[in-house]
Amino acid sequence: MSDKSLFQTPLSRRQLLKGMAAVGVAAVASNALAACAPAGAPAPAGAPGPAGTSPLAGTVGDEMRGKTLELSLAVIAGWPPSQLPVEMFPKFAEMAKEKYGYTVTVRKTEAPFAALFQKVAPTLASRSQEFNLIVSDSQWLGALAEPGWIVKADDVYALNPELDIEPFSSLVVETYQVYPDGSGQRWGFPQMPDTQGLFVRKDLLEDPAEQAAFEARYGRKLPTTYEELEPLTVQEWEPIFEFFTRPEQDFYGTAAQYSKEYDFFSCAYHPYVYATGGDIWDKTTGNVVGVLNTDANAAQLEYFVSLQKYQPPGSPDFGIGEMIDLFTQGKVFSAFNWLAVGLFMIPPELEGKVLAVPHPKFIFPDGERKVIGAMGGQPWVINAFNDDDHMRVCIDFLKWWYQDDTQEEFVQKGGLPWSKKGVNAPGFEDLKPYTRAFKYMLEEGRSRDFWHLPEYAELLAIQQEAYSAYASGQVTDPKRVLDYIAGRQQALLFEKGRTQTPPPDELRNLTLM
Amino acid sequence: MSTINIAQQGEQAIARSRRSPLRAFEESRFFPLALLLPILFFFVALNVIPTIWMIGMSFYSYSLMSPAPPSFIAIDNYVKIYNDADLWSAFSRTFVFVVLAVGIETVLGVLLGFLFWGSSNMPGRRLALTLLFVPMVVTPVASGLFWRLIYEPTFGVANYFVQLLTGSKIDFLTNVNWAFGAVLFVDIWMWTPFMILMTLAALGSVPKAELEAAEVDRLSIWQRLWHVIWPHGKFILMLGVLLRTIDAYKTTDLVFLMTNGGPGNVTELIGLKLYRYAFASLNIGFSSALAVILLLIAISFTSIYLWVLNLRRYREGA
Repeated sequence: MSDKSLFQTPLSRRQLLKGMAAVGVAAVASNALAACAPAGAPAPAGAPGPAGTSPLAGTVGDEMRGKTLELSLAVIAGWPPSQLPVEMFPKFAEMAKEKYGYTVTVRKTEAPFAALFQKVAPTLASRSQEFNLIVSDSQWLGALAEPGWIVKADDVYALNPELDIEPFSSLVVETYQVYPDGSGQRWGFPQMPDTQGLFVRKDLLEDPAEQAAFEARYGRKLPTTYEELEPLTVQEWEPIFEFFTRPEQDFYGTAAQYSKEYDFFSCAYHPYVYATGGDIWDKTTGNVVGVLNTDANAAQLEYFVSLQKYQPPGSPDFGIGEMIDLFTQGKVFSAFNWLAVGLFMIPPELEGKVLAVPHPKFIFPDGERKVIGAMGGQPWVINAFNDDDHMRVCIDFLKWWYQDDTQEEFVQKGGLPWSKKGVNAPGFEDLKPYTRAFKYMLEEGRSRDFWHLPEYAELLAIQQEAYSAYASGQVTDPKRVLDYIAGRQQALLFEKGRTQTPPPDELRNLTLM
Repeated sequence: MSTINIAQQGEQAIARSRRSPLRAFEESRFFPLALLLPILFFFVALNVIPTIWMIGMSFYSYSLMSPAPPSFIAIDNYVKIYNDADLWSAFSRTFVFVVLAVGIETVLGVLLGFLFWGSSNMPGRRLALTLLFVPMVVTPVASGLFWRLIYEPTFGVANYFVQLLTGSKIDFLTNVNWAFGAVLFVDIWMWTPFMILMTLAALGSVPKAELEAAEVDRLSIWQRLWHVIWPHGKFILMLGVLLRTIDAYKTTDLVFLMTNGGPGNVTELIGLKLYRYAFASLNIGFSSALAVILLLIAISFTSIYLWVLNLRRYREGA
């Protein structure tokens, strides 16, 4: 390196002019380059046409015979329901060879919840068919549909009425299919629904010594059966959590999700918001201020976080994985988790010792004892940029996926059904220790999904950070946390034109400090 | 001049007249440029053009999640950054992280570097050095993951010892009072070896003759440091500090894996913020503007170091 530094040699006038010219050229060039960026909504491939001609009808004749291709699936890593289609794919390939005459293999790409969208979105933005069929999260529907990246499910249903299966409840349609909310336009195909529940150690509840100790301490009987546990409110569960909290034995009453990761805290807290009779935003006006940041919601936030006292250390970092680890390792009596991971919450050594009940209830402002949980689960979405052959294979795959015997095998392997026929199938409630609770929570009005907007990632990041700040004690005032979220989300939604109301000035510059 | 010399000169002249075009090209002034061309191509294609593109994008409103084409909004993205209190708090957190991480790593690195420099006959020195450099060669992703497990409050090794000593556990990564320090500690564990390496390189650049002369002249240790070692070793050491500063300033992977910026925003460094805007929100225009600002800050770090490094010489020259 030269001994002369930039600062030792004064700039000559010529050098200064050269430098300024270079900056000018860079600015002009950069603007020109930026303007060359891809623009505009793409025209989706495979526009619907008369049945038999459009690839959205799937394979209807010999048009695919003799062909060999690979179907690329993007699925959620570490999420068992997402893996089952890949595991079961050889049966589809066999059927496709036999029925349609083509050879198909599968390529799986996976990423965790938060990362999968980041993996998929840039490929779709560049109109790539890197991923032909995608397991999306329900909140991504708007982000995928609005730019025209995915095929409209209604177009597929028009050509394949057999795919338009009657759902168990409107929750399925509202959560996994419709965008914009309330529009009735369907974009997703239900892959697997999911609802919230509480996994409890039945063997401990049934232990006579525990029952006697509980009765001696609280003056009432320890509930033991599904029927006794299902109506309990969170407040009624609290003494049970407290009873089983024994830090000296490294054993705790419960575990819930307070993690900043993805939507973990949000989904765990939202039932407490719904219990006030309120919501996290107003779908019709797009407003958050005045809806989320109410005193009632602040009190619920305080209460939800206060339940950490019955939980093992490190609860501000608990997510789905921690629920499974803590419960299966015998560190907790109960754990709030998605019922879709029931199979993993009950390893062979816990078989017969676990009971899953619906999310605990609340006393609503009208005095009614009920619950509105958060909806989980995922839809399939089809890449709009698939070529005709891949589009046909996607449709063929979905036709196979929704067949009764395929769905039956899916459920047997730990998947959950969403159709009226599947959920109401005889024996379904007793199939697994968690299927009864799942069916209960999928009933009309018992669960609710939130935003399907393209801005979901930004909205989620704002509230996850703020909730995490409160769960960990960085911020101690729950109302301030909700004010912060409301102000920021309102500003974002206002900027994107989703609401006509700007955030009030006093909420604009709130920080978490 | 002897007959042999004349003959040799004659042969050389003949050889010159018979040289190949390749040889002629090698000797031409274009040859060095040709050697540089491949790297220049990659530099321009992978560095200059994307940077110019990024600068351009920073003046546009453009989101990958919107069907709308990029629209020119002048400096609106920069104004938004200026008005965003959360971003400024992330900047200040990052600044504290950089100062503490680089400061502690430099002090520890220099001390340990001197220790190893002065113990060339110590048995097992090579093994100790090799072991010491292991954290530096482990990828931050792996380091982040296993430190996350070490800190884990239920079954982590760190908490096993903490409980033995204090009778209670510490939520290293979820307690607001511990999380920042816990991440900082891992960065120091990872990168102090780099500063040891730079210190050893700096000390190796001091001429032995000057050290011997200092010993003969009976200079004190401080005089030797200031008049003999520092003038020779400062460039390498400052280069180490500069590289670490830029690297610490960019820290993203480590915090992403260990805390995801939490609890709350206690460990939310600016690199992680940029990552979220660019790859979670896919807000290309805004994240480009933020990236331009980060780039300018990195350049200013470099400039400040270069300026400090040459300050003395500048004064002497003035």
